[in-house]
Amino acid sequence: MIAVLRSELSRTLMIRASWVSIAATIALGLTFGVFSADFWTLFAGIGAFGLAVLTTGQHYQHRTAMLLMLGEPRRWRLLIGQGVAAAVVATVTTALSGLTVSDEAAQWRLTVAMTPIIAVLGVAVATVVRRPTWALAGTAGWLLIAEGLLGKLRAPLPFTAYLNAATGDSRQLLILGAWTAVALAGAATMIRRDLVSH
Amino acid sequence: MIETRRLSKSYGAVEALREVTFTAAPGRVTGFLGLNGSGKTTTLRTLLGLSRPTSGEALINGRRYRELRRPLREVGAVLEQGVAHPGLTGRGHLRTQAPLAGASDARVKQVLEYVGLAGAARTRTGEYSLGMRQRLAVATALLGEPPVLILDEPANGLDPAGVAWLRGLLRSHAAAGGTVLLSSHLLGEVELLVDDVVIIAGGEVRLAAPLAELAGEPRLRVRGGDPRVLWEAFGHAGAGLEVAEDGATLLVAGMTPSRPATSRWPSRCRSTS
Repeated sequence: MIAVLRSELSRTLMIRASWVSIAATIALGLTFGVFSADFWTLFAGIGAFGLAVLTTGQHYQHRTAMLLMLGEPRRWRLLIGQGVAAAVVATVTTALSGLTVSDEAAQWRLTVAMTPIIAVLGVAVATVVRRPTWALAGTAGWLLIAEGLLGKLRAPLPFTAYLNAATGDSRQLLILGAWTAVALAGAATMIRRDLVSH
Repeated sequence: MIETRRLSKSYGAVEALREVTFTAAPGRVTGFLGLNGSGKTTTLRTLLGLSRPTSGEALINGRRYRELRRPLREVGAVLEQGVAHPGLTGRGHLRTQAPLAGASDARVKQVLEYVGLAGAARTRTGEYSLGMRQRLAVATALLGEPPVLILDEPANGLDPAGVAWLRGLLRSHAAAGGTVLLSSHLLGEVELLVDDVVIIAGGEVRLAAPLAELAGEPRLRVRGGDPRVLWEAFGHAGAGLEVAEDGATLLVAGMTPSRPATSRWPSRCRSTS
């Protein structure tokens, strides 16, 4: 598990597209933070989710998931290792990107605490869907239709809960946590699937 | 030591493997031969814990892959002609794999030199040729210094020099006491390399034997207008002769194109193609 964590973190830093994405997320977050703390929170959540989905999904896309599974054949440990790695990246990225949100210290703290959970949700979704494009497109659709149009950002849905929790309503953390737990359970089942060759 | 016991795998209604049983012993190179779709890759992936068997067992050193404590230090696998993130350099790829294999940076350097990629270590793998990707895959497999090597069609895409290099590497690995199992669909390609052969067709093992038992002397089937004349002619040239099942075809052994004729052929002979 630790080996998976170390492997994933070193990948994140070594793949240029990866650290460029993180740097861009931080830069954009810093910019948004100057104007609106809420907008920064929203962006940080989407960024954390997106980075997690891309990192996890790329393993299936480039077939390197095979190397991970050979290195850690107990798939639940692999999932945990990937989850922790995504959480670490999300925490650091969000913390740094929020430095311009100077006057809303509580919101900064809450957001930094929430984004790792959203990142784990991203790992779970990407593990089930296995294709980053589908995972991201599907999530965008979900956000717009389920959470935005239908739920009007007030229904007990994951991203809504994240936004509300990070902006003060900390009970919504439970809702986000519940959704993430369900997604993880689904991912834990799906990750045990056979990895098929080309 | 690799062993499968009555290994079966079904995908829904399709039986990919049916009671596959064989052993690959240490100190020897075992060739796993079969046509495409015969079940070679399925067997190897089951051995490596990438697929779950429907029934039966696939064991490495007596245990299932998932039960190995430090799998990459016991088994090295070369599959799918090398997978790597195209944005990583060769060295970068191995360094991200190193924690999983318990390998140090020094080992990474060592393995890069061993497979001949030291010069291309700082090139992105996305720019590697197929031969380079294959070498990187072998390097990845060797990181943990595993005694067992499992390779799926490793010579695919390698040029003759690459094939010779791989052959040398695998033979020395076996000579040092390691176990090597490789799959291929070309007997000719592995003839120079393997000690034991396991032939699989339609998901079943048809034969498991040392190569020496398999290879006989090659013989040529010859048919002509008058078999007796042919028999005479070949006999004079010193060939070993037998009559085939149909009573009219000759099976001729022991002749090569460069072997000079030791008699003149009777003028009645016609050559047949």
